[in-house]
Amino acid sequence: MSYIAANLVKTGGIISLLLIGALSACTSTTVDEFRQGETGIENHESIVILGRRQASDYETRSEFVDCVGEHMGNGTNSISVVPEQEFVDAMFPWFEPRTAPLRTSDLEKLMAEEVVAQKMEEFGVRYIVWLDGFTETSGRTGSISCTIGPGGGGCFGFGTWEDDASFDARIWDVASATSVGTINTDANGQSYLPALVIPIPLIARVEANACSRLASQLKDFVNGS
Amino acid sequence: MNKFVLILKAYINSALLFSSLALVGCGVTNVVIEGSYPTPNISKLPVSVAVYYDQALRDFAYVEYSETGQEEFNIASGRSHMDLFNAIVPAMFDRVIFVDSMEEALAQGVNAVFVPAIEEFQLALPAKTKLDVYEVWIKYNMRLLTAEGDYIADWVLTSYGKTPTATFLSVEAAINAAAVVALRDLASSFSLSFSEVPEVRDWLNRL
Repeated sequence: MSYIAANLVKTGGIISLLLIGALSACTSTTVDEFRQGETGIENHESIVILGRRQASDYETRSEFVDCVGEHMGNGTNSISVVPEQEFVDAMFPWFEPRTAPLRTSDLEKLMAEEVVAQKMEEFGVRYIVWLDGFTETSGRTGSISCTIGPGGGGCFGFGTWEDDASFDARIWDVASATSVGTINTDANGQSYLPALVIPIPLIARVEANACSRLASQLKDFVNGS
Repeated sequence: MNKFVLILKAYINSALLFSSLALVGCGVTNVVIEGSYPTPNISKLPVSVAVYYDQALRDFAYVEYSETGQEEFNIASGRSHMDLFNAIVPAMFDRVIFVDSMEEALAQGVNAVFVPAIEEFQLALPAKTKLDVYEVWIKYNMRLLTAEGDYIADWVLTSYGKTPTATFLSVEAAINAAAVVALRDLASSFSLSFSEVPEVRDWLNRL
């Protein structure tokens, strides 16, 4: 009898895996671009991507900033990207949340500081990209219960939730201290967590998709194509 | 019989594990703030300053209580504050010495003695605020004295730091990161606003 039960459990697990293989959590991504000026970058120039951290209830995660930077620094038409922390530390205390320029007019004033202009030149920064946004999880439904005992354990149930990633990228031209454009990215997707003996998550890769699409668009934008 | 013994052992082990987890849950969690602070890129003021850390600053620790009144976190940040001032003050003045007493400052013939003090420390945890960020808020009393100990300036500074919950695996790491952001915030406002404090500006003009 226990042999039959064990086989049933095993079959259930295999069916779950097959179902999971057949299904995939979908993500839809929208990218909007608003261009205000001409762009282009030379081989010796670089960009820096910085996260906005002025909002009281959220802050742009450094992991997302790093992800966009890595995507822009790889592949065809790659661009040299100065790592965020390296830049902020080298510029200390001018790019901290309290002191960072919020408008291009603030950047112009900041560039009047000899030490800032010198550091900017050392890095060869042509564009500053300000990323602002976050990923929100909503609509959590379903339940999963797990039990464990001396003979083993298992989970049964189903859970689902929706993720929505919304990020803005504002591109400033350091040479002219002007804003040259804005790119908005919005990605959303439904994630599922079915559990038949073992819970297997079907995660909608919302933030990863937002990162790659935004990076790709930014790369084209900065290259002027 | 052997099977019975194995099951019994498993139950005893589980009971021991749950008991130890329950005991850990009741204790206070110690967090020692640790971070590295860059040197500010600012112009030095042509004065000599001694820096004196009093015992209250050296030993500063904040205790966060749970809603039931139990000690939840003991956050020690005195050492980290000293590390911060050690990094920023030498970048602000032509000559900086660190002293262990006011008498030593007088013997060194400095223009002023800087004595920082922490007045208040607040911690906001996501479990209590229902926000997805850990927040640290610190209030300071910055004192600038003559080498003889007389008053030059005394002003209040506040600093704020936050970190998102999604980034960290442990509460201790998140509290540390939020505190380090707050300390960097202090460094930026202190170094950039020092000569704009009215009493400090008057003192600098008199030199």
